[in-house]
Amino acid sequence: MLAIIAVFLPLAAAILAGLFGRQIGDRGAQLVTCGALCASAVLSVFVFYDVAVLGHGRIIDLFTWIDTGELQVRWALRLDTLSAVMLLVVTLVSAMVHIYSVGYMAHDSSIPRFMAYLSFFTFFMLMLVTSDNFVQLFFGWEGVGLCSYLLVGFWYDRPTANAAAIKAFVVNRVGDFGFSLGIFAVFLIFGTLQFDPVFAGAADMAGNTINFLGWQVDALTVTCILLFIGAMGKSAQLGLHTWLPDAMEGPTPVSALIHAATMVTAGVFMVARLSPLFEYAPTALAVVVVIGGTTAMFAATIGMAQNDIKRVIAYSTCSQLGYMFFAAGVSAYSAAIFHLMTHAFFKALLFLGAGSVIHAMSGEQDMRKMGGIWRRVPCTYAVMWIGSLALAGIPYFSGYFSKDTIIEAAWAAGTGVGTYAYWLGVFAAFITAFYSWRLLIMTFHGSPRADHEVMHHVHESPGVMLIPLFVLAAGAVFAGAIGYEAFVGEGRAAFWRDSILVLADHDSLGRAHEGVPEIVSLLPLIAAVAGIATAYVFYMLRPALPDLVTQRIHALYLLVLNKYYFDELYDRLLVRPAMALGFGLWKQGDGATIDGLGPDGLSAVTRDLSVRASRLQTGYLYHYAFAILIGVVILVSWYLVRVVG
Amino acid sequence: MPVVSVPTILPALPEILTVCSAMALLMLGVFRGEGSTRLVSWLAVLALVLVLAVALARGGDRQIGLNGMFITDGFALFMKVLVLIGSAVSIVMAMAYNERERIARFEFPVLVLLATTGMLMMISANDLISLYIGLELQSLALYVVAAFKRDSAQSTEAGLKYFVLGALSSGMLLYGCSLVYGFAGTTNFAGLAAMFAEGNASIGLIIGIVFVSVGLAFKVSAVPFHMWTPDVYEGAPTPVTAFFSVAPKIAAMALFIRFLVEPFGALTAEWRQIIWFISVASMLLGAFAAINQRNIKRLMAYSSIGHVGYALIGLAAGTETGIQGVLIYMAIYLFMNLGTFTVILCMRRDGRMVEAIDDLSGLAKTQPALALALGIFMFSMAGIPPLAGFFSKVWVFLAAIHAGLYVLAVIGVVTSVVGAFYYIRIVKLMYFDEAKGVFDRPIGAEMQAILVVSSVVIMLFFVIPGPLLTSAELAAAALFPG
Amino acid sequence: MIIQAVCFYVFAAVAVASGVMVISARNPVHSVLFLILAFFNAAALFVLLGAEFLAMILVIVYVGAVAVLFLFVVMMLDINFVELRHGFLQYLPIGALIGFILFAELVLVIGYWALAPNIASVLAAPLPATAQVTNTQALGDLLYTRYIYAFQASGIVLLIAMIGAIVLTLRARAGVRRQDSSAQVYRPRAASVEIVKIEVGKGV
Repeated sequence: MLAIIAVFLPLAAAILAGLFGRQIGDRGAQLVTCGALCASAVLSVFVFYDVAVLGHGRIIDLFTWIDTGELQVRWALRLDTLSAVMLLVVTLVSAMVHIYSVGYMAHDSSIPRFMAYLSFFTFFMLMLVTSDNFVQLFFGWEGVGLCSYLLVGFWYDRPTANAAAIKAFVVNRVGDFGFSLGIFAVFLIFGTLQFDPVFAGAADMAGNTINFLGWQVDALTVTCILLFIGAMGKSAQLGLHTWLPDAMEGPTPVSALIHAATMVTAGVFMVARLSPLFEYAPTALAVVVVIGGTTAMFAATIGMAQNDIKRVIAYSTCSQLGYMFFAAGVSAYSAAIFHLMTHAFFKALLFLGAGSVIHAMSGEQDMRKMGGIWRRVPCTYAVMWIGSLALAGIPYFSGYFSKDTIIEAAWAAGTGVGTYAYWLGVFAAFITAFYSWRLLIMTFHGSPRADHEVMHHVHESPGVMLIPLFVLAAGAVFAGAIGYEAFVGEGRAAFWRDSILVLADHDSLGRAHEGVPEIVSLLPLIAAVAGIATAYVFYMLRPALPDLVTQRIHALYLLVLNKYYFDELYDRLLVRPAMALGFGLWKQGDGATIDGLGPDGLSAVTRDLSVRASRLQTGYLYHYAFAILIGVVILVSWYLVRVVG
Repeated sequence: MPVVSVPTILPALPEILTVCSAMALLMLGVFRGEGSTRLVSWLAVLALVLVLAVALARGGDRQIGLNGMFITDGFALFMKVLVLIGSAVSIVMAMAYNERERIARFEFPVLVLLATTGMLMMISANDLISLYIGLELQSLALYVVAAFKRDSAQSTEAGLKYFVLGALSSGMLLYGCSLVYGFAGTTNFAGLAAMFAEGNASIGLIIGIVFVSVGLAFKVSAVPFHMWTPDVYEGAPTPVTAFFSVAPKIAAMALFIRFLVEPFGALTAEWRQIIWFISVASMLLGAFAAINQRNIKRLMAYSSIGHVGYALIGLAAGTETGIQGVLIYMAIYLFMNLGTFTVILCMRRDGRMVEAIDDLSGLAKTQPALALALGIFMFSMAGIPPLAGFFSKVWVFLAAIHAGLYVLAVIGVVTSVVGAFYYIRIVKLMYFDEAKGVFDRPIGAEMQAILVVSSVVIMLFFVIPGPLLTSAELAAAALFPG
Repeated sequence: MIIQAVCFYVFAAVAVASGVMVISARNPVHSVLFLILAFFNAAALFVLLGAEFLAMILVIVYVGAVAVLFLFVVMMLDINFVELRHGFLQYLPIGALIGFILFAELVLVIGYWALAPNIASVLAAPLPATAQVTNTQALGDLLYTRYIYAFQASGIVLLIAMIGAIVLTLRARAGVRRQDSSAQVYRPRAASVEIVKIEVGKGV
């Protein structure tokens, strides 16, 4: 019951704020949504305790959704440790973001709409994480996509925001196409879309083949890869990542909630949720590792060269998602979820902190026009430090526990791809630390680069924005230490129970605990410290050095600055041909051919026939008599020909 | 040798009542003079209602009377009810119109009563002779009422055209009858049925059936024997057109069905081809020719041609469900057409009738109730669910599919799409175009009543389809004993 | 028998020929006269069949009444038949073609003539033998018993024709003086005759 209320409160709040925003006013909408989300978060704590700690996992059946022939789909809330963790993280971060938004969006003209979207998003996210079947999962999946579209394009009078919203939606469609194909494949193979029977049948299906595009392929492998394509889209993995940085056009709370803490992690959650399927598809797992590892590295390098404060964090998110994926890929699902949780806290913290900075700088997002404000915004400065320390994986901050576990697990997996991921992970850790401190130093230190007017207005954010920051900061500091034992430590089996399946010979976490070489577990920390030191050298001590370096490796710098030209590549390869094709089809195909032959042509023919038919009606009696006679002759001839002929 | 006894006459009681009341009203009119028109009209309506009651009271048991020339059964009862409703409503519709057009004469209701007698006889015909006599009785009265507005050249022309072409078709029909008689040696339907029970037909007989069918197809205005329809519909006074479009069509359809199913039921495979051909031709012409029309009465002429084409689909199937489909179709068609013509009768501006389709522009703004009613009728005729017209079409299409006549069903669907264009164009004119002016008001209480009843029937058919469906089922079953 | 056959063919041929002349004669009066000739020949064919009542009815009704009425109408209405025929030739070829096809087909149908096998069982037997009763009586017997329905209905058809003719043509013209015989008969003397006593020696 608590869980039902926790899930549906945001929906009720969204409906109230969205449809009756005019009646209840800005303040009313804020109160309703924040209140609902806080209540939801408190309830989630109880649910978490009940489900994850006490082990009362259950499935709450709501009602039948679809019942046609073989396909039966029910609305149900699946409560196990995995969904309880997600429930807690989502409601907690969402509640913080809601409260923060009260301050951040104070000057906006459509507050009820914004709050309603946020709550609506939260509802879909909860739907997603508590789903008991693929269709409900897809429902939540598309729902969060829709809300993401609405929120990225929240400032719909900005063309860039609109473009970003469309881009996010379209790129996600590519992933969703794979996802839906994956769901179809699941139905094809298992004949059901409920999780339990699918998971139960996965072991028997291992090694079976199906016909895919004319090839006989391993059924589970292709299914999992298709599903993973969906995850790639939603979680902005290499190739389908291009929408995420652009999505920073949305308000900063949106970036924190959707594009850092929750929605983008849906892909990771999905892989973890479907671990019973992925475990029997080792090839698919290898693909997940490679994509995840590459993304972690690749996105981090782009992050080094960006100047927009939010874009840096966005690429950082992308990179961290890569970590989570390769963790999942080496069967360390619990480590992935663990990192998901800690990341939710420190990345939301970073985003909200960045939001606070932007708020202080009167909307400026370019780090080159910041600097020298750390004394004016001490609280923000402090929480940004905390967030960065957690992100870089400095010991005893939450990121340290989760990230190191992942990297160790990758090594411990002992596979080729695992090792690949390990080295990329270590190198990415260095870069992560580097760009984090680059961000800190460029934003807060040095001489002010903003104009006098802006500098004059720099001020600490109001309490309503700071309190969420402190809550999240606490999470960023302590979540790792608290959760370590249960999530990935010795207690993990008792904690996760059967919500995550790891085959015995895939148990990379277990092997990591048995012991890896000391250097292996120290290397990430060393890399992080080295990254921080490098950043200090480059931006604090020798400010001329970055320019020198970029000039020396100008081509490489340009490559990274322009995000490996992914957008341009897609523009050339896909967008323009698609536009040309669409335009051609519209003008030539639809306009000239289909309309010409179809509706227009048919109607012209019809009109013509009509004119002819009415011309038959001459009004002359003998014409009419003739018509009758001709009719008689036709009929008589027909029968004579049939009988005689 | 008491050949004519009361029991053999009794089945024909409704007909006898009708004709007697017609003659009594004729005498009343003659002696009371022109001033009695309204009285005679209402009495004629009363007589028709009385006949309806008598017919219903006598029930649908199969009875054969008058030396085997007359039959009454459930099928006849169903069709008679429709015809009587059609005739009675037509007389009601005509009263005010005739007075305004200064053609109010007591002969009109009398002629309608006599025509109705002919129709009832057609429906109950069980012999080629009674078939022909009933047909002529009906037709002759119709020729006269078509030319009833004798000072209008159009009306006279309509009557004359109808008369000449009707005579031609009667000739065909008679020739066909003579061929059938010549090959079979009997004119009685039961005798014919017994003779051809095994489906052993010579080509001569088939040609005979063809000729009779041509005569009947003329009466239901199926293509290519429809040529009189648009001219007569346009020329005849509007209430007469309304009458033409319902009662005679229903009666002729009943005769058509009985003639083909009762004596020649075993030859379905043979005559189906005739019906197939005229059905397809009617649907196509009804759909295409109507698009180009500017006059609403001509449009209705083509519309009725199209509807006859759809109804004939059910006959082409030749099965019990097919006939049931025709019966349902004709019943719903009756209400749609009566309603539509009531609206057309209300198209009067400054005391003069207007008949152009464009005159309906913007009706929704000036007379929303009238526009709504016409909209309902048009959507129903176009076959838009959930209105009744949709179900009538579905029924015949289903029957055709069950009988394996896929081409017929497909053509039916395609032409109803084309047909929907001109029906819905009227709705578009009424609701989206600028008003051209206001029609005269008030439209009269009896017109309002007809509009309300027919639109309610059309709209709510899908709520209570039971009575019509079951009675049509019973009626169709009467034609297929055993 | 030979004579009968010869007579049949002669009468039939003349009937068909005069039928053709009815529609092809230029002078409408001639058309009507040919129509009368056709009626006579048809009557003669009836006589050959032994149906003398029908033959006489045909002559009396059609020749005596209908055709003569036609003749009156044709002569009294000055209709320009030449103009009506305008365009006749234009449609002659197609008309002839249609007619010919239909004719050929009907001939073909006759060629395939096959009576229904069990026709004898249903053939309406003449009620009494013709030798015993006269034609008229036999017809009357049938008409008023077996076919009473059709007979009565035909009467109504004629009634409709009558009503129709009156409806479509009778006009009450204003200013027409009609003879009212009953008014004439019942006119009292006082209303029409005035007796004036004139004294002797005085004028009126």
